Amino acid sequence: MSTYATPGAGPAVYDPLTLPADDNVNRYTFCVELKGGQWFLQKGKMIAYYGAIEFNGIGHGRLDRLVRTSFHSPLHASDWVVAQGSGKMLLADRAFDVNSYDLDDGNLTIRAGNLLAFQPSLALKQSIVPGFLTLIGTGKFVAASNGPVVFMEPPIRVDPQALVGWADCPSPCHHYDHSYMAGVLGGLRAVTGFGGVSGEEHQFEFVGAGTVLLQSTETLMAEAATGAVPSEPGVPGGGSTAPGGHGPQSSGAPRLPGQLGDLQRRFGL
Amino acid sequence: MTFREINSKMVEATVTPGRRLFSQRGAMLAYKGDVSFTPNVQGGQGGLMSMIGRRVAGEATPLMTVEGSGTVFFGHGGHHVHVITLSGDTLHVEADRLLAFEGTLRQGTEFLGSQGGVMGMVRGQVTGQGLFTTTLQGQGSAAVMAHGGVFELPITPQRPVHVDPQAYVAHRGEVRNRLSTALGWRDMVGRGSGEAFQLELSGHGTVYVQASEEKL
Repeated sequence: MSTYATPGAGPAVYDPLTLPADDNVNRYTFCVELKGGQWFLQKGKMIAYYGAIEFNGIGHGRLDRLVRTSFHSPLHASDWVVAQGSGKMLLADRAFDVNSYDLDDGNLTIRAGNLLAFQPSLALKQSIVPGFLTLIGTGKFVAASNGPVVFMEPPIRVDPQALVGWADCPSPCHHYDHSYMAGVLGGLRAVTGFGGVSGEEHQFEFVGAGTVLLQSTETLMAEAATGAVPSEPGVPGGGSTAPGGHGPQSSGAPRLPGQLGDLQRRFGL
Repeated sequence: MTFREINSKMVEATVTPGRRLFSQRGAMLAYKGDVSFTPNVQGGQGGLMSMIGRRVAGEATPLMTVEGSGTVFFGHGGHHVHVITLSGDTLHVEADRLLAFEGTLRQGTEFLGSQGGVMGMVRGQVTGQGLFTTTLQGQGSAAVMAHGGVFELPITPQRPVHVDPQAYVAHRGEVRNRLSTALGWRDMVGRGSGEAFQLELSGHGTVYVQASEEKL
């Protein structure tokens, strides 16, 4: 896939008329056309714009209503900006691949850091899974990933770092696999740490109907705050210090080779 | 064909019982079916001696054995992935560039000094290969990582290929490589072109070059 039309022709030059409307300019840039409407974007993801577009933080004055209709968790609304006006706006994020997705009366859960922008016709809610956001309704949103996004059908098991999101609720759960820890040699391995671990003992498992979105590498994008959830019994990730502290967020820390990681906890070491 | 390129940064591998794969640890992205990932203490094939050989040579990249039946998706660190299929010939590649390879390939360690003596060792230092490099031989395919896209340059006896040592990824076939220097007085006074060292590959074969001078 070449950005250049013909070799030697030089880069393509765009003006407000030739920029694509609501489509990718190239793999790394997405162009949004605003015609008096609104778009939500994560702070700092706009790289350029044509026309008269106003960028306002959410929660001031007349935009208060939006928090109620499109943001259902006012606590992280401060990370989002409303673009309003008419013109064309370019979105990008650190040369990660950018893609747009259309939801048609559906739902999609996505890693908070990967979501760049979405139409106000979608409702953004915090997922029960900490660190993830769920979009519900009809509309378009833009998400980034490291490498092109690959769509997979369940049943599938996914490396936690490669997971971008999932659509239509294929029941995400944890899966642990270290059969090589069984037996005498396995026990020795667990106690001494000799031989290391394969780094693939822990996966997310998806079963049922739906689609799983995968990025092509294990490089995570920076986490975006999804807002604190109320600290009350029965709420996963509720409160600031969740006991155990695992879940999708703690897997963002790099696991060193030879480090037992989750296994230690499992074997009570 | 065991490996199939899904996109530039991701490959799909099919595992069937009896046909295992070796892959770099932690490079699995997803899998379907019943597949197990076992850390490989030896860092590859062969017995204890091969393991010691690799440790000494600094070519002991943490590997894992992938066994079972199903489909596995590999990708690592945002690097581009290139699948190389071997049919009896030898691939020379750095161990840390190997994303995954078939168990049918024979893995070995090669001393760079064996080709060109002291200059071979100097060459290893300049290319970042160190004193040793890994060889894969036999029938099967391997997925190799590179920073930026990979392109192949054919090497024929009439047309040797010069490659920037930092952009060199791997080579296969009956290839002699030599470090050619173009050092002049300009380099000594700090006005060099920055291209003083080149890798000259001659013979019969193919060299794989990445579109970047960044090492992995």
